[in-house]
Amino acid sequence: MPASAATDLGEVSDIDLVKRSQAGDTRAFDMLVTKYRGRIYAMTYHLIQNETEAWDLAQEAFIKAWRALPNFKLDAGFYTWLYRIAHNVTYDWLRKRKIQGDGEFDDERTEHRVAAGAEATPKGDPAPDMALRNAELGHRIQAAIAKLSPEHRQVIVLREVEGLAYEEIAALVPCSLGTVMSRLFYARKKLQEQLKDVYETTL
Amino acid sequence: MRTLLPALALWIGCALGVAGQENAAPSAKPATEGKVWGGLVFATNDGTELTGSQEKAPATLPQLNTRLSKVFDFKHFEILGQHHQDIFREYESWVVPSRDLFLKIDSNGPADRGGVKLHLQVWREQQVLVKSDAVLRPDSPLFIGGPKWKGGRLIFVLSLERK
Amino acid sequence: MKPPSEEHDLIRWLDGEMDETERAAFEARIKANPALAQEAEEMRALSAGIRAHLPAEMAVPHADFFNSQIQVRIGQMEIDEARRREAVAPVLGSLLSWLRQSWLTAAGAVAVAVVAFLSLRPSSEDAHSLILSSYTPSAGVQTVTFHDDNADATVLMLDGLEEVPADRKISGISISRSETEPEMASTTLFDAAGSPQLVIFRDAAGNPQFWASKPRG
Repeated sequence: MPASAATDLGEVSDIDLVKRSQAGDTRAFDMLVTKYRGRIYAMTYHLIQNETEAWDLAQEAFIKAWRALPNFKLDAGFYTWLYRIAHNVTYDWLRKRKIQGDGEFDDERTEHRVAAGAEATPKGDPAPDMALRNAELGHRIQAAIAKLSPEHRQVIVLREVEGLAYEEIAALVPCSLGTVMSRLFYARKKLQEQLKDVYETTL
Repeated sequence: MRTLLPALALWIGCALGVAGQENAAPSAKPATEGKVWGGLVFATNDGTELTGSQEKAPATLPQLNTRLSKVFDFKHFEILGQHHQDIFREYESWVVPSRDLFLKIDSNGPADRGGVKLHLQVWREQQVLVKSDAVLRPDSPLFIGGPKWKGGRLIFVLSLERK
Repeated sequence: MKPPSEEHDLIRWLDGEMDETERAAFEARIKANPALAQEAEEMRALSAGIRAHLPAEMAVPHADFFNSQIQVRIGQMEIDEARRREAVAPVLGSLLSWLRQSWLTAAGAVAVAVVAFLSLRPSSEDAHSLILSSYTPSAGVQTVTFHDDNADATVLMLDGLEEVPADRKISGISISRSETEPEMASTTLFDAAGSPQLVIFRDAAGNPQFWASKPRG
């Protein structure tokens, strides 16, 4: 479901907070930060898979948003505008780092960094089999996504996490609709390769 | 006139500090915000522990050892390694006078009185010891008190060179 | 290799990007083609799995600090902005009114106090370097920052760091310039004679790694 629809109810009170922020009310802005930091952090984290840097980039996004408030028109959705800023900040960072995808990652290294965000079972608990298997799967999915190139990781995150429609993805990246579809297809095929044993079905 | 307009747009873009691939000349050196000197200093009371390093502080940091002694209570100060580094405007810069204690610097733009706003991280091997937002100004070095070693202490000195 | 439009059909159907007519037609194809049905089911399961394990919202580590850090940086931006307008009284005025916002948490207030203290000193001393804020990921490590007039230096003291073992050999290098590869993937550090001493690159986890052109020590 598109992000804008999900926050319709929230948008109403946002307008008040945004207006006050534009007038220089830092407390109002602080409330907006509290409201959206979880979603912004999740997006940056999924795109770059590094807790420390995702934290820094999420910070940057809010600072940039504060600076750009005078340019924000109240008729558009605030969260949409905010995550576009966060997305651009993160994607710029990703491009500069030129983290190579498509198999160039070291399996072991990616493995231990992927811990945060996945449902973790505390050590020593007599955890039921299901919970353990679930956490395992989470790790493997995140590791598989980490192996994708920035462009392919981007479309997967925008589609599966942010729930954007193809048109919205194309506008954000920016690229053509055809490119969005090709990248999504390729990314999913790549992920399937990594997770063959999990998702293979036999009819 | 047709060639003048794109050139003008590029100049305006650079003057406004607009970051981004589309404004950077393809083979130009990345924009810089100034230059820093980073030194790793070993402070100790025991002269026999000195490593015998011959490194000297730059002329822009006169009386460095005396100044360090006013903050850190040691008799001897030895520069183990040093690094002169450009601060990139759009990319991170590493200041590595030693592999054991080094800095990552990100520029946050110029500050008044010839200064630079920085986000800096002190790294030790694979760990960040501290993250800090700072304003660095010429002739006003940063002394970062680091970990203890051999009864003494490791100190990171960061100084902005005047443009 | 299937033609691009067929591949696009599969994901368009999966992502609900088809209209009624197209969807009915595609679903008919699935019924008639077991291989296609299998592919569609696998991809649907994968999508569901990704959505289940990639939460759209995550708890921000050190959330309070996240907020207060933003406030400190915004505050500093406002001070810089006022300074740029080149008048002393308005700077103090905006700073004081901003400080009056007593809702700031203790952490934010301490950082604010540091900024305020350092900003309100007489103009001749404003040419110092400043530490605006600092954060240590390790709980046991504390920072103390101050300006030392005698030393004419700004100090950032890290207390509580793990000691370096005495038998550890710490060696320095002397670097006078660096070169970063065009794609910014690695940086080579050169000494005054122009010999490369060290190469820095980021590993998959984003951590800095070194490669030395000569052995350590």
